[in-house]
Amino acid sequence: MARTAFKQHNLGTVVGFEFMRTIKKRGFVIATLAIPVVFAIIFALVYASNSSTSANADAQKNSALTFTYTDASGLIPTALAQAAGGSVASDPGAALESVKKGSSEAYFAYPANPATEPVKVYGADKGMFENGKYEAVAKHLLVTAAQSKVNSPEVTAALSGEVKFDAETYRDGRASGGIGSVIPPLVFLVIFYVSMILLSNQMLNSTLEEKENRVTEMILTTLNPTTLVTGKIISLFAVGLLQITVFLAPIAAAYLLFRDSVALPDLDLSSLVFEPVPMITGALLLLGGFTLFTGVLVAIGAIMPTAKEAGTIFGPLMALIFVPFYAVSLIISDPEALIVQVFTYFPLTAPVTALLRNGFGTLGAVESAIVIAEVFIVGILILRLAVHLFRYGSIEYGRKLSIAGTFRRKELTAK
Amino acid sequence: MTLGDAVEPLVHIKNFRMDFGETTVVKDLSFDVRAGETFGFLGSNGSGKTTTLRALLGIYQPTAGTLHIGGKVFEPRDGARLGYLPEERGLYKKEAVLDVMVYFGRLKGLSKHGARAWSQTYLERVGLADKAAVRLDKLSGGQQQKVQLGVTIMNGPDLLILDEPTKGFDPVNRRLLMDIIEEQKLAGATVIMVTHQMEEVERLCDRVILLKDGTARAYGTVAEVQDQFGGTVYRLGYEGILPASDLYDVVRDGDGHAELAPAVGADETAVLRELIGAGVAVRSFATARASLEEIFIQVYGEQHEMAEV
Repeated sequence: MARTAFKQHNLGTVVGFEFMRTIKKRGFVIATLAIPVVFAIIFALVYASNSSTSANADAQKNSALTFTYTDASGLIPTALAQAAGGSVASDPGAALESVKKGSSEAYFAYPANPATEPVKVYGADKGMFENGKYEAVAKHLLVTAAQSKVNSPEVTAALSGEVKFDAETYRDGRASGGIGSVIPPLVFLVIFYVSMILLSNQMLNSTLEEKENRVTEMILTTLNPTTLVTGKIISLFAVGLLQITVFLAPIAAAYLLFRDSVALPDLDLSSLVFEPVPMITGALLLLGGFTLFTGVLVAIGAIMPTAKEAGTIFGPLMALIFVPFYAVSLIISDPEALIVQVFTYFPLTAPVTALLRNGFGTLGAVESAIVIAEVFIVGILILRLAVHLFRYGSIEYGRKLSIAGTFRRKELTAK
Repeated sequence: MTLGDAVEPLVHIKNFRMDFGETTVVKDLSFDVRAGETFGFLGSNGSGKTTTLRALLGIYQPTAGTLHIGGKVFEPRDGARLGYLPEERGLYKKEAVLDVMVYFGRLKGLSKHGARAWSQTYLERVGLADKAAVRLDKLSGGQQQKVQLGVTIMNGPDLLILDEPTKGFDPVNRRLLMDIIEEQKLAGATVIMVTHQMEEVERLCDRVILLKDGTARAYGTVAEVQDQFGGTVYRLGYEGILPASDLYDVVRDGDGHAELAPAVGADETAVLRELIGAGVAVRSFATARASLEEIFIQVYGEQHEMAEV
């Protein structure tokens, strides 16, 4: 065998290998494709239902309802009622009896004072959804009658609450963006949440695989463990991006192509405000939080001998990450509360809490700086610990690692 | 600087000590491996061989001592010039054979094309060409061993460290493995081999070290160790009954053939006179060196006997 000059390019090699072998796994393909398939099925069902509902609504609107009514209030003009298919009943008891027998479709009894007494609506049973039209017609008739009495569209609109409000608030002498400025920084929280849900299990298993396959010795004599762990993290991040892209593809397609048919909210993207400080803070908190939790999960993987045993720590850890969501109303309304302060500065709850507060504008500049520094410093320290544990612990095949033991050996060496 | 360019010795271990908690596994071990030689690292199970290799390769942190390859402590970036077949075998079992080989080839500095081409040639040679796309866990233990050996040597290492390379191989594949190791040696590799197959050591190794309870019991060329430890033996063809004597110990006896280890001060004439005097009909008599296997049994037999006591 010829001895040749070598050039090592290991980080890219590790990233490529880890990425490809992850996305080639049958379980990954099924899990990743299942979400968009479910979305597509839901959209198809919603589309079909909406078409059906729309057709029914048109049919109901066009179908004539014949009814009798009595009007103790005197609000209902006879001509209006007749135009809607109504006729005055001379005997309320007989009118009700006709409905009961099925000889009349409906009977409405308007009371003397509709503000204090209910309008009685009687109708032939036509199923849960169809029955709703009786009340709708009775109400529409009353509202139309009232509008004709007032004879003022402005007053009518004000009374019926159909008035649009355009609010503007100010901070530091400048108009703040309102809800439009809250949504963009909260996107980082969503990305953090989704990436943790999707990738945490893979992070945990990433170094366990080397132990379980007894491949650690081959790796440690070929590759710097820092390069291995870094490569695994980058590949996981790439895998997460791929998954998010696959998940979002059907939603984006539905939004762009079939927005009306699938009843997606008519989001006005132009109202979003991308303020630089919260956006940069959110991005840094996301990156720091990702680093922190990746380090923790890799360290657990290095300590535990098998995936099964690692799972016993994994569950409580994930609960701890997302426990701030249980106090979300307090985090938004009272950021100075003791529990919110604890959540803000305790490393494992800091990313979610700080991302929430950043989104809602209650995270001050000093607090932001402290939390960002904290998650990065703690994250990097834990990552270094994770690499150390992998370096000196992953050879302990089938045994749980003593963290102190790995450092004791180093101390002895230094003597 | 490559490993092969280093000033001799290539491997230098001095006053190496390894403790695990209260237990001392290796005590004050010192030896060198010269560039280009094949070095046998011998010892019974638990004598500290694998621990020494792991410490040499930085997998374990030594408690004390100097462990150098090419004049410095080993670092993973030197792995491009190293081939290490560990005692604990294992590769990424759920990946295809060729993918794993190419991955390790890339880590060791080969181009993707070069790693693929080398792997295919190697798989052809060891009879696994049709398994290139098969997952490793679908192969037999011996087939997985062959793949792992391929991964170990694919970078044409300057230093090849093989921890029990023939473990799990049948005689045919053992021969194939030995041929591959000899090729590596001819290509200029320095080989350190841990094995319990003494005939392999005698055939392949230039020098050996015998480890017992974490200390070196014998160290040097095969001939030196034979002289140093086993000395000479008398190989005898005879008829009759061998008498007990202070002049020799009977090392082996059966079917009219015996091997006698002479006591200090006893010579051939005295032994022959003793035998003939006891009525033994001596048909042949020759002086020979003790085999490594005999020395191994002698050294570790003491241990077993003590354990049994």
